[in-house]
Amino acid sequence: MALIEIDDISVAYGTPAKTVLDSVSLRIEEGEFVCVLGQTGCGKSTLLRLVLGSEKPLAGRILIDGVEHHQPDRTRGYVPQRYSLFPDKTVLDNITFGPEVSEFGLFGHMTPSFYRRRRELRREAFGYLERIGLRESDSRKYPDQLSGGMQQRVAIAQALMTKPRILLMDEAFSALDPGTRRGMQQLIRELWKATGTTILFVTHNTQEALRLGTRVIVLAKDGPERGSRVKLDLPVPDPCFEEEIPHLVHRLESGAGWHAVSAHSC
Amino acid sequence: MSVGFLLIHAKPQRTTAMLLSWALFITGIALYLYIANQRHRDNPEERVTPSIAQMARGMYDAALKPAEDDDQPAEGGSMLQRFRNSMLWKDTKATSRRFIYSMLLLIPAVLLGLHMGLFPYVGAFFLRFVLFFDKIVALSLLPILFIAFGIDELAKVMLIVVGVTPTIILDTFNLTRGVPNEQLVKAFTLGAGDFAAAYRVVLKQIMPRVLNSIRLNLKSVMLFLFAGEMIASTDGLAFRIALLRRHMGMDVIIPYVLWVALLLFLVDLGMRVLNRKLHPWFQES
Repeated sequence: MALIEIDDISVAYGTPAKTVLDSVSLRIEEGEFVCVLGQTGCGKSTLLRLVLGSEKPLAGRILIDGVEHHQPDRTRGYVPQRYSLFPDKTVLDNITFGPEVSEFGLFGHMTPSFYRRRRELRREAFGYLERIGLRESDSRKYPDQLSGGMQQRVAIAQALMTKPRILLMDEAFSALDPGTRRGMQQLIRELWKATGTTILFVTHNTQEALRLGTRVIVLAKDGPERGSRVKLDLPVPDPCFEEEIPHLVHRLESGAGWHAVSAHSC
Repeated sequence: MSVGFLLIHAKPQRTTAMLLSWALFITGIALYLYIANQRHRDNPEERVTPSIAQMARGMYDAALKPAEDDDQPAEGGSMLQRFRNSMLWKDTKATSRRFIYSMLLLIPAVLLGLHMGLFPYVGAFFLRFVLFFDKIVALSLLPILFIAFGIDELAKVMLIVVGVTPTIILDTFNLTRGVPNEQLVKAFTLGAGDFAAAYRVVLKQIMPRVLNSIRLNLKSVMLFLFAGEMIASTDGLAFRIALLRRHMGMDVIIPYVLWVALLLFLVDLGMRVLNRKLHPWFQES
């Protein structure tokens, strides 16, 4: 049984209804790093929100480990493009928020055992801070005092701290400058290898999808009035060498197909 | 051609800005003193524009003389003891008590606004009613309130409830709706339940803005409180002002008005400092 089973889902918005996704089916196995590619408005983020459980499909169903989930929960971590951190909490409190709130709930922080547990969580959080390349002094900063790249690093640490089985990332690096973006790509790849978390990464950047994913899914519409379908669903050979990426991008974007691409290079 | 001081990009010096900010105060005081002086020259018994000496005497009596005729005169008592027996202190205490009740009433209003903004069923249940309630002119309900609740504290408190709480509820509701959905989704994915997300994520984020909204509504709270005190009360700052109006006691009314403004300024300042202390992240942004 696949970890994520997307079974013939369709989504439509507005009146009159405009179809965004049309009979999309996918199976994602545990430990995969799947990049969803597509043009703006093709329904990539909608697909991610469906897996997240924050949206419901018009038809079809989504199973996580064989179970339908109707709202977001801690089995699926989430890193959006914006508003990824809580602005009222310091970096350290953002990272430890997940375990704290899931273990102690609303009023649990008033109990003595909370403070003992918090010390442990903070130690763990410092470990994550080190892994994402932040200094200890950054832990006391508020999100507004961090650069965009640092904020996304913390958001990833925050999501991983709860040890989700699935990490959903929605254009998580799109707002970053190219240099920072490359650093973040390396980081998430390293973290994926270290933790084995299944990652579903939405992006409109073909290079990014090729650098990161073990599998690339391309969503596209058949026509302006039609919903998006899965146009390509292809594994990315590992390792995929950096110098080959521009060539692969060209092949992929020109619709030459993956066979030629994978035979040629990676 | 623009004049120098009407340039958008003008950068007044610190001293100039300071002088400008006090200019209207100084002009107002000077104008008042000039008019008062003129009128006193024409009529030494003039009471509409009391002189500084008259106001000082009036305030001294209000602040350091016993409030009631039957009170023991605090001869030889300390300044503080004399102040605590004074009319000003007793009026301030009565008004402050009502003001604190009013502020406490805003807590359920904030919580209701939060729940309306977050929980669709609560929103659907209350929103239309609160919107309707918000349009009622509170002062027009005064007779009804006095008939229904008598002329005791409850009627005055209800006047504030009708006057201010709908605004605070709707402000909180809008602030709650303004929190990005990503934040809520994020909270759920981190393991928060509905109430943990409401109180530990949303309420914490909107709190500085809610406090600012309350600060902006302080004057409305006082307005309704004063209306209640002026019409049906036996103590309080507004009661005293209304009473003294009958005796043309401008020598006390003006200092009382300034005293109320000072108190309100201090409450506002206190809330601003509290907001900054409680929410340092908000000041950063």
